[in-house]
Amino acid sequence: MGELDGRVACVTGGTRGIGRAIAEAFLAEGAKVVINGRSPEKGEQAISEIEAGENLHFISGDVTDQAVCEGLVDQTVEHFGKIDIMVNNAGGGGDAAPLVDMSDEIWNFVLNWNLNHPMWCMRRALKYMIPQEWGRIINISSMYGKTVIPTNSHYVTTKHGLNGLTKVVAHEVGAMGITVNALCPGGILTDVMNTDGRVAAEALGMEFQEFLDMMAAPSAIKRLNEVEDVSLVAVLLASEAGAGISGSLINVDGGQVPY
Amino acid sequence: MGKLEGKVAVITASTRSIGRAIAEIYLSEGAKVVVSGRSAEKGEQALAEMDAGENAHFIACDAVNQSEVEALIDGTVEHFGKLDIVVLNAGGIMGAAPVAEMTDEVWNHALDINLNHTFWGMRKALAHMIPQESGRIIAMSSMEGKLAKATLSNYTSNKHAINGLVKVAAHEVGTLGITVNAILPGLVLTDMFYESMPATAETMGVTLEEAADMFTQPAAIKRPNTVEEVAAVALMLSRDEARNITGCLFPVDGGTMPY
Repeated sequence: MGELDGRVACVTGGTRGIGRAIAEAFLAEGAKVVINGRSPEKGEQAISEIEAGENLHFISGDVTDQAVCEGLVDQTVEHFGKIDIMVNNAGGGGDAAPLVDMSDEIWNFVLNWNLNHPMWCMRRALKYMIPQEWGRIINISSMYGKTVIPTNSHYVTTKHGLNGLTKVVAHEVGAMGITVNALCPGGILTDVMNTDGRVAAEALGMEFQEFLDMMAAPSAIKRLNEVEDVSLVAVLLASEAGAGISGSLINVDGGQVPY
Repeated sequence: MGKLEGKVAVITASTRSIGRAIAEIYLSEGAKVVVSGRSAEKGEQALAEMDAGENAHFIACDAVNQSEVEALIDGTVEHFGKLDIVVLNAGGIMGAAPVAEMTDEVWNHALDINLNHTFWGMRKALAHMIPQESGRIIAMSSMEGKLAKATLSNYTSNKHAINGLVKVAAHEVGTLGITVNAILPGLVLTDMFYESMPATAETMGVTLEEAADMFTQPAAIKRPNTVEEVAAVALMLSRDEARNITGCLFPVDGGTMPY
């Protein structure tokens, strides 16, 4: 008997990293899961590695595209008959630079990736969740949704924006059986970190390892977080017992952000 | 296989309400639990109702009394051989009043049962947990640990202080396998609510129902939280898998606190 028996979930950026861990944790608790990612190849690989049979389905698409986000939600409902849990996990940075040198191109890309994608997916998912009076929306924010790192105005600003969006929507649907929360993880060595983190380290004039150390040092645990830390809390929020938690920005950062 | 198999827990104020719900969920996940409270009678009744045989044990403790809190921690180790999880759940107030009229008696009582009890219990627990390099400490704070209500200076100050204590302790033991977290519930209709809120409501010049609304209307979910919702978070934080979640002020308030 799983905590998510009978539930249908959709996880953006679900082939690797945090999204993959959440998908696996949801499957282990009995949910049916759609994972999304840009690369059909990585999707197929994830499907074959996770080995969840018909309970797992891959839909490819780039969530920086509005039509892809809305189609993803609709296709989840077409495939599994409904949508109960929407995890807006895709996101990242890249081309880190001081604001004065920040290009329109990367600014707009990150705006779509980190803020507009959750907005598009959430708005679409609510069309299904409001009539059924049950839903769980989980936005994967970041400790940088509460704090700051130079050269990452695009990332920090969009994660702060996502935290604000989370709180507003929570209040709009709070009496309808739908919860909306954000998880704010500390540094985790995911594939995104391995690419965008290296770029950010370079922009800060640091070695990558120094950059990782810089992210772990202010924590209580003095080490990076792990993807399973985030999926543990995601399962709780998605479960029946999570009904009383909404509009919360929950730190999963080893004690780093003090508020 | 329970999620807390082989663990030993002690919970202050656990014959009823939130503490009792935590005791029950711990027991159902395979832990051995020391239940505690002022009244031996209520302790016996709780043990009989929980029907957990030798896995549950009662030790009387008045949480305003330092030697009783310390004896409770030591008594748990004596009875079950070790200590893995401490939930410092006792709390409350004798009465409400504007600061200008707050008596020393009411102020000092609140200081002892809320903040000092948490400090005494935590310090003693760490003496057992540091040598074994593992442990979970959970302090029961409140949404009033971040908010404020007129006439509740005693409660509010103590819950704010508990949040500070939790963060400092988390950083002190963060690399020793010990996590320290606080849970911040919204209004829960516990026995404490029905015992102390009528007088508080009178001080505020409102009916009991209006007082309850004052706490639930700012929430997104427009209802009180439940003891089960709080217990689910306590369980999650107590698991081995939660090793990287520490110094966290975990909200269970239906979206009342905006930060």
